[in-house]
Amino acid sequence: MTGRHAPDHLIAGYADGSLPDADAWSLEMHLESCASCAGRVSRAVRATAAGPVLADLREAVLADLGQAVLADFGRRAPAAAPPAPAVVPSPLRAPRLLWAVAPAVRGAWLPAVLLVALGAVLLAHAAGFSAARPLLLAVAPVVPVAGVALSYGRHADPLHELAASTPSAGLRLALVRTAVVLAVSLPLLTVAGAVVPSSGAPGAAAWLLPGLTLTLAALALGGRLGLRAATAVTGGGWLCAVLAPVLAAPDGAVSRHLSDQLSRYVGGGAAQGGWAAAAVLCAALLAARRTAYDRLERH
Amino acid sequence: MGGHREKDEGDGALLRAVAAGDPAALAALYDRHAGWLHARLTRRCADPEVVREVLQDTFVTVWRSAGAHRGEEAGGWLWTIAARRLVDARRAQERAGRLETTPIDAAPAGTGPAPSAPSAEERVLTGLEYGDVGTALTRISPELREVLRATVVDGLTTRETARLLGIPEGTVKSRSTRARAELRAALAQLAPSPMGGPA
Repeated sequence: MTGRHAPDHLIAGYADGSLPDADAWSLEMHLESCASCAGRVSRAVRATAAGPVLADLREAVLADLGQAVLADFGRRAPAAAPPAPAVVPSPLRAPRLLWAVAPAVRGAWLPAVLLVALGAVLLAHAAGFSAARPLLLAVAPVVPVAGVALSYGRHADPLHELAASTPSAGLRLALVRTAVVLAVSLPLLTVAGAVVPSSGAPGAAAWLLPGLTLTLAALALGGRLGLRAATAVTGGGWLCAVLAPVLAAPDGAVSRHLSDQLSRYVGGGAAQGGWAAAAVLCAALLAARRTAYDRLERH
Repeated sequence: MGGHREKDEGDGALLRAVAAGDPAALAALYDRHAGWLHARLTRRCADPEVVREVLQDTFVTVWRSAGAHRGEEAGGWLWTIAARRLVDARRAQERAGRLETTPIDAAPAGTGPAPSAPSAEERVLTGLEYGDVGTALTRISPELREVLRATVVDGLTTRETARLLGIPEGTVKSRSTRARAELRAALAQLAPSPMGGPA
């Protein structure tokens, strides 16, 4: 049927639902690429019993847009948003907000972060384990990445279908939740790093840039691979890069090798500069592919 | 802006205007496409309420992601959105336990045809203009035709087809194999000489 237009009797039969399958399929495929026949069929359908339904739906769709436009407007200019209903201030409000905004924080992830931080401190001080700082630095960048994996998507959030249908779904929600994850993990792990003895490893804050870069890389990849696969690639990649050479070393001086390895990756201005550049690159990539998150749910 | 749109403004131009936030462009797009989408959805879903929801969702999605569409004709893209939405709606319905389908047991997969012959889909697609495909289609059973329609005409994956029809994936595969075999047999019967290209 390509190359010419659908005859009127086919269109009439399709509109009233009496056309047999073979002709209907043929017409359907033609409509996908012919706007003028699409318009003719739509006009014919409006003349059938479906007409009033379509008219009602048109109003509903356009009314929805009004709300969506308002929501967009509120997002761009928060000052112009209507005043929020008065809420009785409650001392519990901030923790409850945190609870609501980030599924990772209420799942198994928070205990895992606490375990990593406390474990490092206890190992160093109670057990006298000398490699606590390098071990902490090696594990720390993976922690926020794991938090990201548990923050957005069907697999992570039981309310995801609901969340995904709100105007702020997609990348915006993923970023808000990532921010919560970072706000919890960055101070906790850095303080833990600072209170354990250094034993030759880089400073306690040296993991911050790599952690941020890996998180951004996971988010940037997430638009293409899905967040779970993306975080597995970035987190797993980091752990392999750090731990594989150490475990492959012939002698048993794991602690010293780990410190050396970490100094090479995150110590010094050049390495940190490289991580910063990579972070900027990932952020740019993420910004360029931001609409990928809107389609993430349809795969 | 805000006045009546030119009747013959292309889909591409309308979508660009929608992406820029023009509601009148979306209204024009709705007038051109909602009718046939409604008819097409109705052929695939007997529940008018679900059809309504799916159609509304489709145009809300268009409003949100019109910038993602490249090219001039929007019909195929719109149908892709609508078909995925219909699959989602079916799944949600199933989850709510409202849809009571009794999946028919997977047919024995031993009907294996020779895989090297030109596929039945290709024959359907090249032969859609010829009356005998219509005749051949009427000879295969409705549930096989349903699977063929979802996978060939609507371009859904096996998993999506399974959700849409409320049957297990294995059944989709076996029915699709059987549909191909039956269609091939029916076509061979109708046209004893090998039906070549669209010559």
